[in-house]
Amino acid sequence: MNFIKTFGAGCLIAGALSIASCSRTVTRIDNNQQIDISGGWNNTDSRLVAEEMTSTILSADWLSNHLQEKAGKKPTVIVGMVQNKTHEHIDAETFTKDVERAFINTQKVRLVQGGKKREELRGEKADQQTNASVSTMKKFGLENGADYILQGSLNSIVDAHKKQKVVAYQVNLELTNIETNEVVWIGEKKITKYVKN
Amino acid sequence: MKKSLLYIFLIAFATVAKAQDAGLAPDQNPRYKESQQRYMNTADSLTTTLSTTVQQTYKAYDWYEARMERRQQRREWRHQENLYNGYYNNYYGQSSYYNPYTWRNNLWWAPSVNFRWGHSRWYW
Repeated sequence: MNFIKTFGAGCLIAGALSIASCSRTVTRIDNNQQIDISGGWNNTDSRLVAEEMTSTILSADWLSNHLQEKAGKKPTVIVGMVQNKTHEHIDAETFTKDVERAFINTQKVRLVQGGKKREELRGEKADQQTNASVSTMKKFGLENGADYILQGSLNSIVDAHKKQKVVAYQVNLELTNIETNEVVWIGEKKITKYVKN
Repeated sequence: MKKSLLYIFLIAFATVAKAQDAGLAPDQNPRYKESQQRYMNTADSLTTTLSTTVQQTYKAYDWYEARMERRQQRREWRHQENLYNGYYNNYYGQSSYYNPYTWRNNLWWAPSVNFRWGHSRWYW
């Protein structure tokens, strides 16, 4: 009798353990925690780029020069195209959005919408011309024209042999005066990784 | 002296007046409208990539990854060969010509190296 009880309990424990071992575990981690799994581009790299760019773009000379030239009028910036020329799929929005947020939070730079979002805004404005009341209808031709455009590029160099690999990423953001084509600021972040399989 | 200063003043005044007539900003290229016209027509297509990441990725050679890909490719080929094994065997007269999927119908153990169901390939 004792043997049957012990055997039954053993079977139950073994079953529970086998079920538990098959289940997937997911835990929330801190965004700033560095976890490298594959060696590819990840959230830590994006964060490092964002920190570097936001800290340098707002402290660079272009801002004070603009304020001086334009009698204290804040510059208006539009975010342009970022070219990903690396060997991985990377969306630059993960760090350009941090730069945009820094512009708005510090109130030092004005930001205007571009691309598809701007198209949507104009579409909404067009819709208002026939559907909104006259007092609330927004007019065309009163958008803020950008003074500067923020463009960028991502590059990578891969050196791999057998189970070892060195990957170097270079992220550049450039701020250019739209009227004069003068590049007023270039931000750069280089990240190099050694991966051993 | 006074006369020459007056001439300079008149010439400068005439130049500024002419520039204003043409709608030019100081130092603006007088042929700017040629460029403006060209870009006004293509402005929509040129601004579609604003605020986007254009993917121009390349495939980097990685010895380890290339080996894994080759291995995966071999597995895929072997799998495909096994799938159509019965079909190919037809040409060698080993099974029915009209039923290319004989391996699916074989409900008997095929003693092969891998001990799989119905795979009539005996040696790998």
